[in-house]
Amino acid sequence: MSDRYFYSTAAKWSFVGFTVLVLSTWIASAGFEHVDMALFGYYIAAVICMIGMVVRLTLFFARPATSQVLKRSLKQMKAEKKRASKAVAATTVNNIVLQKFIWERGWYRWTQHMLIAWGCLGSFAITFGLTFQWMRFDLIDIETYQIVVFNIPTIKMAAHGLFAELVYNGLNITALMLLVGVLMALYRRINDQDVKVTQRFEFDILPLLMLLIVTVSGLLLTVSYVFFGGFIHHELALFHQLTVIIFLCYFPFGKLFHLPVRPMAASVPMNYREVEADETRVCAGCGTRYATDNQVEDVQAILQAQTIQLGLSDGTQLSDYCQPCRRSMRVKMQLNLMNGQLPTHPVDTNTGMSMPGFGRPKETKGEAKDETPVR
Amino acid sequence: MNKVMYLEFERCIGCRACQAACRECGDHEGLERNYVDYIDFSENRQTFPMICMQCKNPACAQVCPANAIQITPEGVVLSASEEKCIGCRNCTFACPFGIPKFDFEKNKMYKCDMCYDRSKHDIAPMCASVCPSDAIRFIDHDEMMQLRRQRVQMNMIEGKKPSQDDKWNYVPEFFGVYSD
Ligand code: HEM
Ligand code: SF4
Ligand code: SF4
Repeated sequence: MSDRYFYSTAAKWSFVGFTVLVLSTWIASAGFEHVDMALFGYYIAAVICMIGMVVRLTLFFARPATSQVLKRSLKQMKAEKKRASKAVAATTVNNIVLQKFIWERGWYRWTQHMLIAWGCLGSFAITFGLTFQWMRFDLIDIETYQIVVFNIPTIKMAAHGLFAELVYNGLNITALMLLVGVLMALYRRINDQDVKVTQRFEFDILPLLMLLIVTVSGLLLTVSYVFFGGFIHHELALFHQLTVIIFLCYFPFGKLFHLPVRPMAASVPMNYREVEADETRVCAGCGTRYATDNQVEDVQAILQAQTIQLGLSDGTQLSDYCQPCRRSMRVKMQLNLMNGQLPTHPVDTNTGMSMPGFGRPKETKGEAKDETPVR
Repeated sequence: MNKVMYLEFERCIGCRACQAACRECGDHEGLERNYVDYIDFSENRQTFPMICMQCKNPACAQVCPANAIQITPEGVVLSASEEKCIGCRNCTFACPFGIPKFDFEKNKMYKCDMCYDRSKHDIAPMCASVCPSDAIRFIDHDEMMQLRRQRVQMNMIEGKKPSQDDKWNYVPEFFGVYSD
C-alpha cells in the first residue's frame, strides 16, 4: 500500500494495524457473535496501545541508525540465508528468551527481569487472546470445555481437570510472577546506591508502580472471588479495568517501550560479529583488526546521513582507525604532532565555547576563516 | 554546572590514579571508563589521560540504533541505558575519540559519564580529584582561560612550532558542560 493515501507513514501503519485487529476479531469470533462486551474497555485500550506503538516505532525507524539495522539485516538474510537464520535463532533464544546477558549483570537482576518480562508477556497473551477473541472456551457438555482458537475448535478438557485449573489460573500465575518481580525491582531501586545515579522517578519508578497497581488489583479480584464470596467484586473489576487501561495507554511511551525495540538485538551477531575471528577490518593507522567491514560501512553511512563529518585530509574517516589510534590522534592533534592526515572539518564536540582538538576551523585556503576560536 | 574539565596531556606521569579512582565511582561497577595510553610508544614513554568530551552533537548517540545514549539536561552524555542498549557497538566505532567501552558478557556499552552523581552536584569527577600532576582538572571557566592564555604567551606548544596565527589551535582543549 502506498503512502500516498495517507497523511504519514505512521498513519498508514496505524490504519493497517487497526484493520488487521478488527478483522482478526471478526474471523475469530464468527462474525462478532462471541464478542464479550465486558471486555470492551480492554479492547479500546489495546487499540490505543497498538496505535501508540505503531507511531513510536515508525518514528524510531525513521532514525538513520535504526533503519540501517533493518537494511543490513535484510541484506544479510538474502546473502547468507543459512548462517543468518542460525545466528538469529541462537541469539533469540539466548538474548531474548533466556536473557543470559542480564544473568551476567547479576542473578538478582536476572530473576527480577525474567519474572517481570514473562509475567507481563504471559498476561498480555491471555488478556489480548480473550479480548480480541483469538481464543475462547466453549462449553460442550457439563463436564467438558473446548478451547477454540481463531474459531477453530482444538483440544477438549475436563472442566475440573488439572490442565483446566492451570488454564483458568493462568492470569493468577503470571500476575504472581509480575508481583514478585516488581517488588524485587522496587526494592533494588530504593536500596541500591548505584542505580540512583541516573534514576528518574517518572521514568524508572513510575512504570514499576503502574505494574504493581495493575497486578495487585487483578489479584484482589481472585481474592475477593475465592475467599470473600465476591465481596465488592464489581467495584474491584472496574478499578482493575481502569488501571489496565491507563497502563496500556502508557506502555508505548515510557521505559516499557524497550519491549518492541529489544528484538533488534537478535540481528547483531548475524549482521556483524559472531566470534572474534569475524573481525577482519584492519585499522588504517596501526593495522590491528578492530571491526567487521559491514559495521564500519554502516557506521559511516549513518554518520553521512546525519551530516556528521569525521573525514581526514588523506581521504580516510576516523572510523577507519581503531579506538586506541583515534585517542592518540586526538592528543597528537592538540600537541601539534600530527603529520599528514588532518581533519577536514570541525567536530562539534564542545558546548560552543571553543574549537578544540579535531574541532579546529576548516582549512580554507585564501579565504577568510569562517570560525575563530574564542580567546 | 559552571566548571569545565581541562586536560594538559603532557603533564601526565602515567600513574593511573585516575583509572583507579574511576573504578570506585558510583554506578561504574568497578570498571574504569577512562584511558591512560602512550602517545607513541616507539618514540618515548609519554602517556596521556583520555576521557569523554561530552560532545554537543555526540556521534555516539547519533549512530545508536536503540537510542540508548541519553543526554542529561546539563549536557552530560550518559552511559548506555541498561534496558535499551542492544549491544551492537556502533558507538565505539563512531566516536571520533575512541571513548565508549564494551562489555561482551553483560552485552552493553559503558562510557565516561563525568561521574554524573558527583558532577551534577558540582563536585569534581573522580579522575580530576585524584590526578597528582594536574593533567586533569575541573576548574572555573575563567581560570581555564587564564591557563590557556599563559600557554600561548609562553609558546608552550610541542612538536612543529605553529605560526603566530594558529597558535590558539594548539592550546589544550577544555570541555564539559559549562553553562553560565
Ligand atoms: C522479552 C523481551 C525483553 C527484553 C530482552 C528486555 C530487556 C531488558 C533489559 C536488558 C533490562 C535492564 C535490566 C538490568 O540491566 O537490570 C530491562 C529492564 C526492565 N524491563 Fe525489560 N525486557 C523485555 C521485556 C519486558 C517486558 C514485557 C516488560 C513488562 C512490562 C519489561 C519490563 C522491564 C522493567 C520494568 C525494567 C526495569 C527494571 C528496573 O527497575 O531496573 N521488560 N529489560
Ligand atoms: S552498543 Fe548500545 S549504546 Fe552503543 S550504539 Fe549499540 S545499542 Fe547504542
Ligand atoms: S563518547 Fe565520543 S562521541 Fe560520545 S560524547 Fe563522548 S567524545 Fe563525544
